[in-house]
Amino acid sequence: MTALAAAPLAIRAPLARERLSRRRRWTEKVAAASLGVACLAALLPLGSLIWTVLSRGLARLDTTFFTQSLRGVVGAGGGALHAIVGTALITVLTALIAVPVGLLTAVYLVEYGRGWFPRAVTFLVDVMTGLPSIVAGLFAYAVFSLILGPGARSGLAGAVALSLLMTPVVVKAGEEMLRLVPTDLREAALGLGAPTYRVVLKVVLPTARSGLISAVMLGLARIVGETAPLLLVAGFTDSMNYDPLHNRMATLPVYIYSQWQNKGTDAAAYDARAWTAALVLIVFVLAIHLLARLAGRLLAPKTR
Amino acid sequence: MKLKLVAVAFAGLALITGCAANETTPPASDGPETSAASNQLSGALAGGGASSQTAAQEAWRAGFQALHGQVTINYDPTGSGTGRTNFADGGYLFAGSDAPFSVADAQGDFAACAAGSDLVEIPAYISPIAVAFNLDGITSLDFDAATVAAIFSGAITTWNDPAIAALNPGASLPDSAITPVHRSDKSGTTENFTDYLSQAAAASWTWPAAEEWPAELTGEAAEKTQGVRQTLSTTVGAIGYLDASQAGELGTARIQVGDDFVAISAAAAAAAVGQSQLEAGRAATDVVVKLDRVPTSGQVYPVVLISYLVACQQYADAAAGELVRAFFEYVVSPAGQAAAASNAGSAPLTEDATLEPLVTAAVAAIG
Repeated sequence: MTALAAAPLAIRAPLARERLSRRRRWTEKVAAASLGVACLAALLPLGSLIWTVLSRGLARLDTTFFTQSLRGVVGAGGGALHAIVGTALITVLTALIAVPVGLLTAVYLVEYGRGWFPRAVTFLVDVMTGLPSIVAGLFAYAVFSLILGPGARSGLAGAVALSLLMTPVVVKAGEEMLRLVPTDLREAALGLGAPTYRVVLKVVLPTARSGLISAVMLGLARIVGETAPLLLVAGFTDSMNYDPLHNRMATLPVYIYSQWQNKGTDAAAYDARAWTAALVLIVFVLAIHLLARLAGRLLAPKTR
Repeated sequence: MKLKLVAVAFAGLALITGCAANETTPPASDGPETSAASNQLSGALAGGGASSQTAAQEAWRAGFQALHGQVTINYDPTGSGTGRTNFADGGYLFAGSDAPFSVADAQGDFAACAAGSDLVEIPAYISPIAVAFNLDGITSLDFDAATVAAIFSGAITTWNDPAIAALNPGASLPDSAITPVHRSDKSGTTENFTDYLSQAAAASWTWPAAEEWPAELTGEAAEKTQGVRQTLSTTVGAIGYLDASQAGELGTARIQVGDDFVAISAAAAAAAVGQSQLEAGRAATDVVVKLDRVPTSGQVYPVVLISYLVACQQYADAAAGELVRAFFEYVVSPAGQAAAASNAGSAPLTEDATLEPLVTAAVAAIG
């Protein structure tokens, strides 16, 4: 360094640049390499998981799996239609509870909330986001047991538990999407003399539509694989149940759990069913994510 | 655009909500023959408890639901302790339990029962408990009660211990550590197993018969029958106890009775029950067997598990009582016992001339 400092400026500058750039090149290579390794490390479990589920789940991925329940099945055979229907019904019911509550809360927080109350709501929603799913299950169990007596299990109870988990996700994501709507649009509409509710209905919500749908889909993807609350309040059964108000309703995650945990004599048949159900569940979640993307693209506001 | 999406979503939903191909509702009224009272049963019945009954319950539910298309029976294999607690609280309308309620508890109040109702307990599932182990190339070993007690209490720690070698002169026992596996949850299987050890090996097993494994003993703990099976099949050198229907590919022990070593079989288990007495001081519907764990001779396998079905003699809800009675009638019928025997390897109750009439009478009293 001292030699460099003594040298005339004209000579020193290119030398320093060369050294610096060499160091930078190395730094860049090292950084890029470690980023790549980190990326691979993150993908490795995913790849291994997909491979495992595919290799073990494909064996039972037949029509029987989608056309039969487990009623009357001893040992091998049978399907998961009752669990697939149960998951669909409970997911729809959960959405019916969580989407209105979640979206209206988000609109309130962004468009109307002033003062301490919205801050309190935001804080509570943040707390709810971290709510362990089993606590939501226990809440629903307590509510339904108090009303209907001990051991009460139903698809609706499952939907109530899951809506506790889904609502905060919808609120948070919906809030973000509504905040993305430019203030200029609101001001323009207000300037034309529109009352706030019309601004929300005609300007803000249509503009944020695709984002809001993504928010709902994210919420759905969050809850569709939940096991613990459903095990507690929706229970497991071998038979079809279309009535969410009465009796137990099977769902895919609980189906996987019960096939794994409560094997009969022919253990391999139960394992195979559990893996196939896991595969179906993964595809289910993937489909929800794809639908969210698709809806986002199709329903995006026309910019012309 | 939105409409199209909604339409697609509904079409998809309609597609998957079609009826299950294996669930056909029986025709409403085919003729005078099918309008018998049994065909009009409908509803759902939730029960649970002993995980040892898993395979038998599967067969019973399948058989019963085939007869009664409108009835759904659910059974949660949560373990005997949970099953009895939930039955007492009214969460389950019937319970499966490897250990009966104690004489004092049987007098207590049960939420689902009518006031003053007796308790119904029937030995529905009689099955040997396998002392199963995982050793390469060894499918059977001979043990006496004292050796089994010493292994599970930690007094014997290696497979080539002289005590084991003396009983198995031909076997090539490895010089590896023994990992005893026991149930971590409250289990009727544990109670039956410790009951056997405390009676047959009183000198080396100083703990009483209990549903919970003695806390001061070391060893690996696994949850439910399925957990024990999982641990045993993945740990070479492990030994554990579990319902024989779940022993699968594991090696199993022959137990010394008199001068013979008796292998696991339904017949040997039935013989052990046949030699035993009923427990006194219980209601007529409360059929509880006091097992004799120390038979002196014969093809009798003394490590037997009797799993009971528990119900109320009189239900607060008459419809529930009717369902439970119909289900229990099927379970103790020759067809039901044969179904359990073929799926779970249990000993048919119907071959026991003393128990069978008592059990049938107890079931008939349910209302």
